[in-house]
Amino acid sequence: MSVFEPNLVGFLCNWCSYAGADLAGVSRIQYPTNLRVIKVMCSGRIEPSMVLELLEAGADGVMVTGCHIGDCHYISGNLHTKRKYALLQRLLAKTGLEPQRIKLEWNSAAEGQRFADLVREFTDQVRVIGPNPIKAPNPEQRILLNIRAAKEAADGFRLRALVGKEEKLTTEGNVYGEKVAQEDFNEVMEQAVETEFQIHRIQLMLRERPRSVKEIAKKLGLDTRLILTYMVALRQRGWVDIRDAVEGTPLYAAQ
Amino acid sequence: MIDLRIGVFVCCCGINIGAYVDVPAVVEYAKTLPGVVYAEENIYACSNDGLNKIKEAIKKHKLNRVVVASCTPRTHEPLFQAALEEAGVNKYLFEMANIRDQCSWVHMKEPKKATEKAKDLIRMAVAKTTLLEPGDEPEIEIKPSTLVIGGGVSGMRAALSLADQGFDVIIVEREPQLGGKMRNFDSLFPHQQKASEILESLLQKIQTNPRIRVMTGGKIKSVFGFLGNFTIDVETRTGTESLNVGTIIVAVGADILKPKGLYLYGEDKRVITQSELEEILRAGSVDANRIVMIQCVGSRSAERPYCSRICCNEAVKNAINLTQQDKEVYILYRDLQAYGITYSRLEQEAKRNGVRFLKYQQEKPPKVTAETDGLKINLYSPTVNEDVELKADLLVLSTPLIPVTDAKELSQMLKVPLDRNGFFMEAHVKLRPLDFATDGIYVCGTAHSPKDVGESVTQALGVASRAAIPMAKKRVRTAAIMSEVDQTRCSGCGTCIDVCAYNAIRKNEKGLAETIAAICKGCGVCGATCPEKAITMHHFTDEQIEAQGLAALMEE
Amino acid sequence: MIECFRHPNITIHTQSEISKFEGSVEDFDVKILKYPRSVDEKKCTGCGLCSDKCPVKNPSVFQAELETRKAIYIAFPQAVPQVATIDREICLWFTNSECRICEKICPMKAVDFEQKPKELKLNVSSVILATGFELYNPKEIGEYGYGRYKNVLTSLEFERLVCASGPTGGVLNRLSDGHIAKNIAFVQCVGSRTHTKGYPYCSASCCMYATKEAVLIREHEPSSHVSIFYIDLRTFGKGYQGFVDLAKSHWGVKYIRGRPGEIREDPLTKNLIIHYEDTEKGRVERLEAEVVVLCTAAIPHRDNKKLAQILGTRLDEFGFFDVIDPILNPVETNIKGIYVCGSCHGPRDIPESIAEAGAAAAKAAVDTIRLTVEVKS
Repeated sequence: MSVFEPNLVGFLCNWCSYAGADLAGVSRIQYPTNLRVIKVMCSGRIEPSMVLELLEAGADGVMVTGCHIGDCHYISGNLHTKRKYALLQRLLAKTGLEPQRIKLEWNSAAEGQRFADLVREFTDQVRVIGPNPIKAPNPEQRILLNIRAAKEAADGFRLRALVGKEEKLTTEGNVYGEKVAQEDFNEVMEQAVETEFQIHRIQLMLRERPRSVKEIAKKLGLDTRLILTYMVALRQRGWVDIRDAVEGTPLYAAQ
Repeated sequence: MIDLRIGVFVCCCGINIGAYVDVPAVVEYAKTLPGVVYAEENIYACSNDGLNKIKEAIKKHKLNRVVVASCTPRTHEPLFQAALEEAGVNKYLFEMANIRDQCSWVHMKEPKKATEKAKDLIRMAVAKTTLLEPGDEPEIEIKPSTLVIGGGVSGMRAALSLADQGFDVIIVEREPQLGGKMRNFDSLFPHQQKASEILESLLQKIQTNPRIRVMTGGKIKSVFGFLGNFTIDVETRTGTESLNVGTIIVAVGADILKPKGLYLYGEDKRVITQSELEEILRAGSVDANRIVMIQCVGSRSAERPYCSRICCNEAVKNAINLTQQDKEVYILYRDLQAYGITYSRLEQEAKRNGVRFLKYQQEKPPKVTAETDGLKINLYSPTVNEDVELKADLLVLSTPLIPVTDAKELSQMLKVPLDRNGFFMEAHVKLRPLDFATDGIYVCGTAHSPKDVGESVTQALGVASRAAIPMAKKRVRTAAIMSEVDQTRCSGCGTCIDVCAYNAIRKNEKGLAETIAAICKGCGVCGATCPEKAITMHHFTDEQIEAQGLAALMEE
Repeated sequence: MIECFRHPNITIHTQSEISKFEGSVEDFDVKILKYPRSVDEKKCTGCGLCSDKCPVKNPSVFQAELETRKAIYIAFPQAVPQVATIDREICLWFTNSECRICEKICPMKAVDFEQKPKELKLNVSSVILATGFELYNPKEIGEYGYGRYKNVLTSLEFERLVCASGPTGGVLNRLSDGHIAKNIAFVQCVGSRTHTKGYPYCSASCCMYATKEAVLIREHEPSSHVSIFYIDLRTFGKGYQGFVDLAKSHWGVKYIRGRPGEIREDPLTKNLIIHYEDTEKGRVERLEAEVVVLCTAAIPHRDNKKLAQILGTRLDEFGFFDVIDPILNPVETNIKGIYVCGSCHGPRDIPESIAEAGAAAAKAAVDTIRLTVEVKS
């Protein structure tokens, strides 16, 4: 029986981690062949939706690497990477995919051996949890729906605006100079992630065909009153509207 | 929809790639990729011949995009881009696949898998290439002025050379006076010149040069900007001043390790460092008849796995001085670093003068015990295969140069890296020893690594020539990798402005975000942040990154 | 090399040397003698057809004479300019008025047997000497057997053997029987740090390049054994100690502190037996190796004397160029406006040479600026 070889994708920042990977090469340090590298100028370029899209496409693991905190070539890029990665972790947790499928690491240009070790570690880590369930011959529809919803939530205005402002709000403060406590921010973010995730799940289901609140509640395993509040939000955004009524039960459809 | 005509050039790099990756098979595979109309193999794509072949192929096959699969782009990307431009193709219609540093070199035992990986990497590069757009590079003006951080011998010499070349220089020195560590030295090897005399002549030249301004007691508070236009805030006794220069040179020097806890240093007055010996010799003579010196104290160890280059020769120089005063001197060493012609001569002179050299092994360092009539030093001498005991009136420890205490802080302000040992890290250890990867900032002297005065001056002159290059050109083009805000999608939320570290995105008259092309560094944080997804990161667009990622996961 | 070739401000004259030199800084009159390559540089495309057909061979200096090249040849694959040259000392036309096949075969009609030496006149504001160095020939050290034993090589010969574009394509086929060598010994300080046969100084880069070669062998061939015989391990440069530590701990390179007394050849196997004193163990031992690499001294270029005479620059007692003030003016010779960089003034490594190149350029730049300022006023 052949050993499962994970398909891994890694985002490496040009100045630190990509250079560190090159140093591993120059030093002829050997490591597993599973990783495919995409070079970006800064790890801060990476958006949660990019990672989620790769997982949706069947990647067994996705790694994001950048400069050590305090050493970012673009001064503060990696601080934003850190914030976005935390959001990514929250979203991934909603999908049901294993949290070990993603990794964030800081690796400097001088750390060739460390880079090789990271690749080895990540490859071993993902090998243990097995192939991405999305690639299975009959993948669970629920996981497919979840990951798509997570990706679309990550691309949506609300979460992007929140995570975009997080660094400034928690360190410098708002326009009045009032700093937001990290725990308070986390609470808001947690709620927003849950809301956006569910809203996008509903929208995806409705894009398939019109459905009733009851049906959606059953499918998602959530309370009908909760679904109704989400539906109101969706209507407010202009994303759905009532289409028909079947035996007195309204059907919602995507716009 | 443009007619894609992509050419793929796969380099063998001699055996570096060719011995592990099946290059012919990779070339054949490349030909099958969508958009690729031509693919060939090259033994050294970066050679003159290789570059000519690329240019010829562009003309012959009317290629409008090029992928080179070879070493890391960090080595030769500009070379290939220049070749493309010469053949009439915009340099941004170019992508590289790293099939050496991140493939053949790290998968040497798995040639089949390395070949598959090379194919994947090329497929990814081609996927991105199909979406590349030509780029337009903005020009920036370079201010003909330099900030030299550090007023030691390196900083001063660099300043003088730049002033001679017609540029204005500001030296910011942390201490109340210029001179750095030279002020503590007595005589300099190889010819025993007096350090104070040399320093005096330098100071004189600095003070009388109309182009050089000196700020002593100065501390760098912040650094902003980029090549050609740096703004640095310097705090002195009188307040904070903002300086505006075109280039920056780091010449902050190094400190000398005080080996507390080693060989009774700090516990016994008769144990001193080599630099403390220098101070004593400068003032007069030393009150001891038998002097033992121990080399590699605190260096070439697990904690500091580097050789400090000068300590052996400093010890030898001081030993010669002492023997000329009829003292008895022993030097206990591991490997004597008397390299080159001058130091070989010095070593021989020391031996002629009766300096005794005893080798010790790293695993069996000397043991020092304090006694009333002197210090007892026991060591195992591999040369005679016996334990040897020495008595000394004075024990001199040769300790390494170590990074200055504010090196980390300065490196973070300048956004330049430090190496594993805390010294400033250059762009390339062999070919660009004086440049940082960041444009416009350079390094010289012991801030880079331990070296003697002559070597520091060489680097100072060298760095003056590096900094002069952009300043002499007066204008330089910056990369076309930058953000662009879609004015029709921007909602004016200003989140991009919050996250930009360079103030390169501002609100225009309409209250919408707009990029200042000359300042934008192309990091992509604004693009990743914009809630409306209104920002395009040229050359690293969402679509290009997506295409690379999906290509990575595609089955062949 | 290519950057120089393509730079608009740089003109390259190969096969050239200075024949006459007059004047002073900012105004030197230089006469250059350009030897004929018997090929028109503007027409030759470097296709190599001429070399293919040429019937005459000679040892190739580039391949450390381990291989031959033809009378008409391009020095090496990455040569700049990529233009053929005829070695008139062995070419059949120049020696015996025969052949001329290359002329017939050349598709660009670039061969020109009538080419004469040319004299170029230049007026320059400064001169930078970067004439490099040579390697000591260890033949006179009879006890090491170089020249007698086929498997005793100099480091340059070894470098060519492991190089992909070398005579064996990078495979370590030793010279006596082609057997792929797995057991290799390096001997440091051959002709260096000695008062008998050789030079008394240290050649600065050999400890490190031997380490590099050793690591190269170990990574190519995991079953190999590599030993380096040294006196003092010169690890003074940036990153050097770390590299040696890695060579020892990770790559298993053996460092033996002792200068071999004698190297003998086993007449049957052609292996080498090295007799040495291990000064760390205090014992006399012997080591058998399939190939021995002698790391020889870096010595002054043989043309330094002639060049120094023409320019008026001083040489040191060994024949390297001398600088007037190694502390404050480390790249300037006794003649104002003539600078040195690299190994022509003593053995040194690449980063040092690059820094010196920048230093010499900085000094030379000032000479041109002064000139410009004066001309303006």
